[in-house]
Amino acid sequence: MKIKLNDLCKRFTSGEQVLENISYQEEFKSLAIIGPSGGGKSTLLRILGGLIMPTSGEVAFDEKTVTYTEKELLKHRRNIGFVFQSKGLFNHLTGKENIMLPLVHVHGYQKKEAEKVAVGLLERFNLGDDGGKFPSELSGGQQQRIAIARAMAIKPRLLLLDEPTSALDPELTSEVLDMVKELQDDGQNIILVTHEMGFAKKACDKIIFLVNGRLMEAGESPSLFSDPQTPELSGFLSKILEWKV
Amino acid sequence: MMTIKKLFIRDGEGKITVLQTAVNLLLALTAFIVFFSFSLKRLGLDLDFSFLFTFRYRLFQGFGATILLSLTSLVLSLLIGGFTAFGNRSHILPVSYLSKVYVQFIRGTPMIMQVYLFFYIIGTAWGVSNRFIAGVLILSIFEGAYISEIIRGSLESIESTQLEAAKAVGLDNRQTMRLIVFPQIMKRTLPSLAGQFASIIKDSSLLSLISLIELTQTIREISSTNFAIFECYIFLGFLYLSLTFPISMATKYLERKFSYEN
Repeated sequence: MKIKLNDLCKRFTSGEQVLENISYQEEFKSLAIIGPSGGGKSTLLRILGGLIMPTSGEVAFDEKTVTYTEKELLKHRRNIGFVFQSKGLFNHLTGKENIMLPLVHVHGYQKKEAEKVAVGLLERFNLGDDGGKFPSELSGGQQQRIAIARAMAIKPRLLLLDEPTSALDPELTSEVLDMVKELQDDGQNIILVTHEMGFAKKACDKIIFLVNGRLMEAGESPSLFSDPQTPELSGFLSKILEWKV
Repeated sequence: MMTIKKLFIRDGEGKITVLQTAVNLLLALTAFIVFFSFSLKRLGLDLDFSFLFTFRYRLFQGFGATILLSLTSLVLSLLIGGFTAFGNRSHILPVSYLSKVYVQFIRGTPMIMQVYLFFYIIGTAWGVSNRFIAGVLILSIFEGAYISEIIRGSLESIESTQLEAAKAVGLDNRQTMRLIVFPQIMKRTLPSLAGQFASIIKDSSLLSLISLIELTQTIREISSTNFAIFECYIFLGFLYLSLTFPISMATKYLERKFSYEN
């Protein structure tokens, strides 16, 4: 999939500038957005997913420019899967119902068909027993996997994940990342904000590095980590890797 | 000695056994009854409730009127409360401030004042002369403000991630309300709303001030003919309790049920 960002800016009504003149053009299968906290990673992902509007600038996927009007964004969102850091499942619905809701109410499935899709996904990702449970009865890892299954149920053109593992206990991280990897291997286009450098390095083909709302560096995956061009990136990587085993 | 003490003390985990409940409830009720009988004795009163039987038809009617009045007001006050709770958060500022002023005024003034104001000034000015309709309107406007706050509270307790997730899966605003917000606030407000229904029943007694013939007014009329004030009002208390007690049980049940699921 091709992505093109043209002079993208985001300023909140408080006046805070979170993204400054981001321009980027690349063909990717899996794109990881990395960088220190507060650098604008999640904001960028939300703009790409059509959840918030940029102050100025342009976004295009496969040469098609995203129109930032409420009506067009609704269509845009319906073609995209979005997974949040945590608590993205609807509290009042079971895992299975969470997967079914968008299918029935947004994509026009019959209840029966939607249930079939949901059960199929739950089984595929070894969540068969958890489909009947409410989010509060599930572990963080199970919640995230069901959230990913919900996002995938609609066969999205693009799957966006916003730090899907950062709210999890370390031992639960891998079950979620394994699932993301499986989707990548199936050819799913993915953009992911992450602090898991190992995953970004091994499983993603393109990386962009954001600091204070600016795109500092971008490139191919393994080489960007072994050969950082900016002092910011080498500093960031050494800080992150300092206590790695 | 220890075993007797155990009957009256909550254990470390805060659990209460059936035997403890039975013994202590009986004890509390006995204390209550003894206190009242003793008070009556000091006054040298001998209560005789038998005359109430001759008024059974009127009492039955009054009881029915109170139930009808309360149920109608429950429905109407839910509507008022719902609209003003959402109105409070509206992007249209006049709507928002209208809701705020309404809730503040109603909750900040005693109902007795509102009963007179609405009935004699506003009701007369707008030609509402039917006492039952006036009563329903007054009670609903009063309770609506409290229900509004209950609903507003649970609206505010909905996590922003729920709304963002609704947006992300492609729901429009109306679907988000219907499929996400509404079911979630239902679960959270149901126990408090059941409690508010008990308040509606009790507060409806104030409508006897405008001579609406409901339970309290019936008792007032009966007691003014035979001056058996004590018997009349004690019996009145039992009648209200027979309505509010089941509701209070239902409230507890709902609280337990929904706290478990969340």
